[in-house]
Amino acid sequence: MSAPTADRNLDLDKLFAARLYAVRVRPYLATALFALHIVASRRVPTMSVDRYWRCYVSPAFVDSMPVEELAGVLVHEVSHLLRDHHGRGERFAREHDLSGPGERLRMNIAADFEINDDIFGDGLVRPEGAILPADIDLPPGKLMEEYLREFRFGTYTAGMAWLDCGSGADGLEREWELGPSGADGLSEQERDGVRFRVAQAIIGRPGDVPQGWRRWAQEAFHPPQPWRDLLGAALRAAVSTPGVGEDYTYSRPARRSAGVPGVLLPSLRRTPPRVTVIIDTSGSVSDTELGSALLEATAISRAVGGRRDLVTVMSCDAAARIAHPLCAAEGIPLMGGGGTDLRTGFAKALRAHPRPDVIVVLTDGQTPWPVAKPSCRTVVGLFRRAPSWSESDSEYVPDRPPEWARVVEIG
Amino acid sequence: MSAALLNSAAPTHASQLDIAADLLTLLGAATTEPRPNNQLEALTLAVAADLPVLLWGEPGIGKTAALTQLAETLELPLTTVIASVHEPSDFSGLPIVGDDPAQHGVPMAPPDWAVRLVRAGRGLLFLDELSTAPPAVQAALLRLVLERRIGSLKLPPGVRIVAAANPRSSAADGWELSPPLANRFVHLQWVHDHEVVVRGLGGTWPRATLPRLDPVKLTDAVAFARRAVCVLLAARPKLVHQMPSSDARRGGAWASPRSWEMALRLIAFATAAGSSKDVLSQLVRGAVGDGPGFELLTSLDRMDLPDPELLLADPTAAELPERGDLRQAVLDGVVAAVRKRPARARWDAAWALLVLAIETGPPDLVVVPATTLATLRQENWEVPASIEQLAGVVSLSQRADRAAELVRERG
Repeated sequence: MSAPTADRNLDLDKLFAARLYAVRVRPYLATALFALHIVASRRVPTMSVDRYWRCYVSPAFVDSMPVEELAGVLVHEVSHLLRDHHGRGERFAREHDLSGPGERLRMNIAADFEINDDIFGDGLVRPEGAILPADIDLPPGKLMEEYLREFRFGTYTAGMAWLDCGSGADGLEREWELGPSGADGLSEQERDGVRFRVAQAIIGRPGDVPQGWRRWAQEAFHPPQPWRDLLGAALRAAVSTPGVGEDYTYSRPARRSAGVPGVLLPSLRRTPPRVTVIIDTSGSVSDTELGSALLEATAISRAVGGRRDLVTVMSCDAAARIAHPLCAAEGIPLMGGGGTDLRTGFAKALRAHPRPDVIVVLTDGQTPWPVAKPSCRTVVGLFRRAPSWSESDSEYVPDRPPEWARVVEIG
Repeated sequence: MSAALLNSAAPTHASQLDIAADLLTLLGAATTEPRPNNQLEALTLAVAADLPVLLWGEPGIGKTAALTQLAETLELPLTTVIASVHEPSDFSGLPIVGDDPAQHGVPMAPPDWAVRLVRAGRGLLFLDELSTAPPAVQAALLRLVLERRIGSLKLPPGVRIVAAANPRSSAADGWELSPPLANRFVHLQWVHDHEVVVRGLGGTWPRATLPRLDPVKLTDAVAFARRAVCVLLAARPKLVHQMPSSDARRGGAWASPRSWEMALRLIAFATAAGSSKDVLSQLVRGAVGDGPGFELLTSLDRMDLPDPELLLADPTAAELPERGDLRQAVLDGVVAAVRKRPARARWDAAWALLVLAIETGPPDLVVVPATTLATLRQENWEVPASIEQLAGVVSLSQRADRAAELVRERG
């Protein structure tokens, strides 16, 4: 229930006016703001949330803030919950072995950075004391995890030590919180439901929602998978299809055949996959990305049984600068320049004897593609490009990679 | 005892092994404590509903232990088959040559465990490590899962099948379900609970209390499940069929008439067992995917809300939900109902409901419905006297307006 526990000194009207104002300027967050259960508490320093969507409010804090700034604080607190900062903080802490109150405070600060750099403005006032990444010279627009890697406690974070957004922001329970068994908390399914409705509301109103929130809405229930995993899965799937890699074949009898005379049983045979990597990219792709994509592709094809001599790399001239040293270091045969047209690269790769089982193409996609499906599996690692390419020639729209290729976006 | 130790200065192997056995007994003596376990409950219901389940989980996190407990609860003998150490013919049947193959054909003999399973007539078949088996073995296994056939044997209806696979990011070689296959499974994510593991290693393992189907609830459960799915799909035809398009979602659950039928069955089972919404959420999302699953759960929440028409018919008896966002949804629904069929009595009843909402909960969420309701007034309708009680709403709204002005001035 949204009505708070009785506390005569909490100025509820002011808080509700602030919530109403927040709903007016951020209508897509209405569900989340109304789902907050408000609890007056004298022990909380300012305002904080727990993971069960209770919002603890200090009466003195409400008195000291103007309505429009309170609205900003409410949106800030609800953002912690929508963006699952407690869950993400917990995972980060476990993966990186972080513990202790200092680390929790750092998590709270990083989470605040992620929120504050994109929720204010456009009618919503940044409350006094809200910290921005720029305060300690960090760039805006990053995620909490990225900020956590980028700062340590130092002289410039000292002034931020009063911050406390509660366990909803960093996962650590506070003494004023009611805990999982307390009254009026939201269950996991209810929390998911509220987050889902907010995400739907954001996706349903294109245009007036800030980019940060739109990205959140799209990824809230489908976090993007890292491209390494996707590229690996695509490659493994390509090299483990029948006819490639390790599989059963009737070309030779199985050892078990001795037990059943007169019967042909399939035997397990290994045909190591031949992989050709075609690098077709202009110089604007970052060298590190291209290099790591190339290494990733060769490492995976080797992990699935490919021998060093079965991995071939072809490069067009711009990428040769990166491919040459890498291939030399890895002992991979490097074939000469394939030109800038990807079609010649395909033709050349397919002319080889024996033919490759899989072709991996690392490209930025600004190329014509072969019209017909090539006679082997194709995995495309597509480098994401900034939309600036269209500025010089707005008429030019590159073809999307064709249907028959598995496409993995890189970077 | 000390005398005995002194006497046998050179302990024999047997006595050392006895001591080792004692130590092992001590280590093995663990107590259990009851603890709700949603993922195990979801698995139990899906197995009871006779749907093929696919457990996704990292190796070594207790999938086998969970299956053992499940088998005990369902009182089914457990047969574990490690897929990766078998040949395709172990699942499709070993050919046995008789006297005259041309006359009698070649029968495909099933392996011994299958024969035992069929003879018992009931059992839980656990196909472990599906993802590390070669493609041909997987193909043979999928026939077993989907058609319930092993060679010439048909598994009796009393046999339930659960398969386990590693998520593709950690799979040693690629295994990916094609969308048609993925659509036939209930996908359950198996994760370990940090607390449970630590407590378990300390000597106390959880003992899950598993759901029991209540024979009294069966008819209602079926009616509820049918209504839940039909209400949603009637309103959202787009949700009936949604093939996964992006690479990141391949191999998981997706919505189709087939998987909606599975979802319907799972809802009926969860309802008959009185399971929580959290369990239902895992099951429904495991059948039709996250997006459609969340939509169904949200629609269920709405189904639980009071019907606007009933509220308008008798506003004095109305009970509004406690949670702010749900209460707001109800009030919006009431106003929408008046707009759809405007009538003086209905308009008055809606005002009475808004007054009730003010008396029992926070006023800010009444502002928008009240404003909308006021615009629905027709010329000869007099403003009801009870509207005086909404004065607080007006002042709240004005306060928010003032905040807006202040922000504009600042901006």
